[in-house]
Amino acid sequence: MASRESVIVRVVLKRLVAALPAAGFGLAPATRRRAAWARALRRAFEELGPAFIKLGQLISVRPDEFSDEFVAEMRSMQDAVPALPAEAIRRVIAAEFGAAPEELFASFDNEPLASASIAQVHRATLAMPYRPVWGDTLPAGADVVVKVVRPGAAESIRGDIVVARRLLTRIGATRVGRRVDPVALLDEFGTTVERELDLRTEGRYADRFLYDFRDDPKVVAPRIVWSRSTAKVLTMEFMRGWRLTDIEAAKAAGVDTFALAVHGATAFMRQVFVYGRYHADLHPANLFVTPDNTIAYLDFGIVGYLTPEERMNITQVMAALVYRDPDRALTYSAKLGVDVPADRIEPVRAGLGELLDGTTRADGTRDFAHFGLGFLKLLGEHGIKIPSGYGLLIKSLATVEGVARALYPEIDIVKTAQPFTTRILGRAMGDPARLNERMPLAVRAALRELVA
Amino acid sequence: MTDDVMRFFAAWMLTHEAADEGLKAAVLRGEQGGAEGMTGGPDAFVDGLAAMVAEEKENLKRDLEARARGEEVSIEKQSDPALEDVRFEVAELRGRMDNIEALLESLVRKLGQ
Repeated sequence: MASRESVIVRVVLKRLVAALPAAGFGLAPATRRRAAWARALRRAFEELGPAFIKLGQLISVRPDEFSDEFVAEMRSMQDAVPALPAEAIRRVIAAEFGAAPEELFASFDNEPLASASIAQVHRATLAMPYRPVWGDTLPAGADVVVKVVRPGAAESIRGDIVVARRLLTRIGATRVGRRVDPVALLDEFGTTVERELDLRTEGRYADRFLYDFRDDPKVVAPRIVWSRSTAKVLTMEFMRGWRLTDIEAAKAAGVDTFALAVHGATAFMRQVFVYGRYHADLHPANLFVTPDNTIAYLDFGIVGYLTPEERMNITQVMAALVYRDPDRALTYSAKLGVDVPADRIEPVRAGLGELLDGTTRADGTRDFAHFGLGFLKLLGEHGIKIPSGYGLLIKSLATVEGVARALYPEIDIVKTAQPFTTRILGRAMGDPARLNERMPLAVRAALRELVA
Repeated sequence: MTDDVMRFFAAWMLTHEAADEGLKAAVLRGEQGGAEGMTGGPDAFVDGLAAMVAEEKENLKRDLEARARGEEVSIEKQSDPALEDVRFEVAELRGRMDNIEALLESLVRKLGQ
């Protein structure tokens, strides 16, 4: 363990020393300096392997905690590692099932489809029909993908977390972000990555997603083959289509990208505002456009959860953006744990008003990312702590906007959100607790009108 | 309960359709929606909500007409969400059983090796 500790220290120092010229030996302007250190740390994380790559991905969704340069650099982190030989993956499958892949599937492709820090994906075909939790039965011979946790990945990640925790506790006072508590961040990371290491969690969420969207034939997700899945192996339906990075090919094939952009965005909002559980790792590689004009959500490794109360408060914040209402945004952000001290309320309110007014692009559409990330930055500038999860959600909504605009550049995601937020808040009027709270005021207002 | 609130307002709007000019104006503003129609803070939100209730009112009107013709109306065709949830819970349980069965088979295979 001690040797791993020295490897981590050596790699980080090596990268930081190599970045000294780019940082002007500490004399360059602050932005350039921060960018150079961020780049060095990103390279160190990539060199240090799975645990650090995943940690970088977590940092990339916390613009509330880290500097812009650090977040941007971690976003460009490459989670594409050289593929392991098929034999290593076949050994994991054999250890999990006590049988070779050929005994479990009609065919198994030794050539990997993708390889990332935690898992490697191979194609296979089903040997017998399988009735999934939701949706039609997958017939024998159906194409599936088999996602397998890389041998040693779990142990190496857990070991690195222990070492990193020890190092961070020792370093203690080092500031790597604006107000970040590195040990708390590492603990949060440990919880997230543990969930990701048990692939069944991802499978269960995919099932739930299919159920939630059972009335929407335009939104799909892979069906899970539970008879061929364990904690380390997840077998699911193979989705045909184009990644969003390949959108021109989809357009050439006649896919209606505008309809899909609107649908993809509303599907995400439905997850957040209606169900309170959402795909928190959306990027162009995790979304497919299929030839029959549907949008497929893939890879449910990171999922965000909201309580009904949080969901309602977030809907209120979104309604504030839709209807440009800074007071509503502040009131409900406070309920979400964004605690603005009394002496900061006025400047924050003014900044928020400016953000709300400045979210319109030249083409007349509203820019959610500008608002959302600007709001997080505004709170950071005023030293206001942002609760865990709030940053992740805003970043996810900003990503959805980016993804929808990749499909159709003229889409206005704020306008798309209007019916959702309005309807949900309209329905919330019937909530007994709310009625109990607000009815006396409503009756008094009505009486005032009647006697006026 | 929650949907009923929208229906309640829709019913109120239906019975006051000819009378309330102020509400009609609010619905119109809410329907216009776009960037221009969304700049008025809390009032714009109420307009948006009025437009949505007006939409619900149209559904209610269609349902009432259908019922008068003796047809089944849209709200009655909706399956019970609680029942749907139970269906999913049972299906999820079946998935877990499949998974446990596969694990037991693996165990048997490993013990046999």
